Amino acid sequence: MFNVEKKDLTLGFMPLTDSAPVVVAHEMGLFEKWGLNVTLTKQNSWATLRDKLHSGVIDAAQMLAPMPIASNLGLYGQKSDVISPMIISRNGNGITLSTTLYKKVLSQRNNTKISMPFSANILRDEIAERKTENNKLTFAVVFPYSCHYYQFIDWLKRSNISLSDINLLFVPPSDMVPSMHSGDLDGFCVGGPWNAKAVREGVGVTGVTSSDLWQDSPEKVLGLMSDWQLNHPQTTQALILAIYESCQWLESIPNRFEAARLLSRAKYLDTHIDVIAPSLLGSCLTLNEASPRSVPSYNQFATLGDSGFNKPAHHCGQNIANSMQECGHITPQQRADLNIPAIYRKELYQEAIDKLNNFKT
Amino acid sequence: MKKNTLSLSNNNHIHEHPVKLKVLLAENNHKKANALMNILENTDYDIYHIAHSGVPLLKDVEQLNPDVIIIDIESPDRDMLENLNQIYQLAPKPIVVFSEQQNTCTTVNQMVKSGVSAYVVGEVNQERVKSIVDIAIARFGLFQGLKQELADTKQKLSSQKNIEKAKRWLMDTKQLSETDAYHFIRKIAMDNSQKMDDVAKNILSVASIL
Repeated sequence: MFNVEKKDLTLGFMPLTDSAPVVVAHEMGLFEKWGLNVTLTKQNSWATLRDKLHSGVIDAAQMLAPMPIASNLGLYGQKSDVISPMIISRNGNGITLSTTLYKKVLSQRNNTKISMPFSANILRDEIAERKTENNKLTFAVVFPYSCHYYQFIDWLKRSNISLSDINLLFVPPSDMVPSMHSGDLDGFCVGGPWNAKAVREGVGVTGVTSSDLWQDSPEKVLGLMSDWQLNHPQTTQALILAIYESCQWLESIPNRFEAARLLSRAKYLDTHIDVIAPSLLGSCLTLNEASPRSVPSYNQFATLGDSGFNKPAHHCGQNIANSMQECGHITPQQRADLNIPAIYRKELYQEAIDKLNNFKT
Repeated sequence: MKKNTLSLSNNNHIHEHPVKLKVLLAENNHKKANALMNILENTDYDIYHIAHSGVPLLKDVEQLNPDVIIIDIESPDRDMLENLNQIYQLAPKPIVVFSEQQNTCTTVNQMVKSGVSAYVVGEVNQERVKSIVDIAIARFGLFQGLKQELADTKQKLSSQKNIEKAKRWLMDTKQLSETDAYHFIRKIAMDNSQKMDDVAKNILSVASIL
């Protein structure tokens, strides 16, 4: 179908629940279907994934949606022309408070029930108290240029809490739950399976997801170097279509459970299906031994039969850039100079989808 | 910082060698850590090995305030250590990333450009590691140097502004020509071994009283 310029590709991913589309594409033979032999390489940090993409050690990467913008601006790293021709997932993050903090908040409110999704308002008393004691509450996210970071700040801001009212750390995902056990963290905003893991272990309470905060906002995108795409136009299209079909496959609930099984393998998330399956099935674990909350779009990869879902529309990039400016990651000048259509390449996505439709007819 | 988690590479007392640069080696694998520590022994660096990760590592970094950090490219702690300046009011640190995987030379060069100060790739041997750490510090120093130069230039511009203003005031109030006003400031500066900028500031403060 395609004359791919390069058959053997390496694609970097981070072991998170929303890596399902690339894992499924690999396991279900969708890359092969489109003439590609893709090796998935598990990464341990976003910085290393970024550097490997910039330097050509990997051909493609599943990236945080703000990362291509950060690369184009050279924020903490070499300025590089990274493009995104596809959105791989939307939603998927959650905010979890430590059980200790949650219980404290409950007692401050005379044990009146806290409804979910909860706002940061419930923390106001504790934040004020801890601030005067010079012992601020400590939260963590994984990476600065991430939707987790912007969503968490937004969640605080909606309750008139500023970043200076708390401590915010950057901690690797695998260290989030242990740090909550040790009492080093009072809360975090991360992707799956880490929220569910904290709840299962009885150490955390998940009260908000990104679907509650920014409904269907892009979370992970396909990242390529601009030059690489120019030299491999057909390969790019094959890659887009393989992942697109994988996202469509993931729309069925029975398939979601199978995806959870695949993800739990040692070469992917290396974690029990108990903590991977819930979010994929639209279930948000809240408190240990309490009923989960139904969040159907907790992990969203596609809309059945609608190719628009995975299109990297310019307004998606503009919204992220606005968040980056609001929290001071970029200056108004950088924001003004930013050329989103050169980064979020919806036309590349559309060309691939048009080919697919031609094949069908 | 938990003292018992840190081990000095040699028996030197840091206080007797205050000029030695502090290198923090974040590595959970003791075998790998020892290899690097042996290499950096008896060099101009004091090396501190920290074998834990996550928040405890972060606390150690804050306490120790190292001059350089060495970390495995595959460590999950990289995101945390590269964003220290966003957490603490610490100056950014040069970071040396090492990798056991052999990459081509071009790739290494590209990765160096990608943000970290240096990459050590492949088998670790004394000469290379030592020189790469040296280069990382120098390269980082150069970057900081450029920042300093920018600050100096800004300072110079502001002092020229002061001299300019003082000159104008002298021209207006003492009916001096521009050259005479300039010479007047310069003479006071030379007679009193002061900078022209300081003399200009004094004149301007007198001017503001009058």
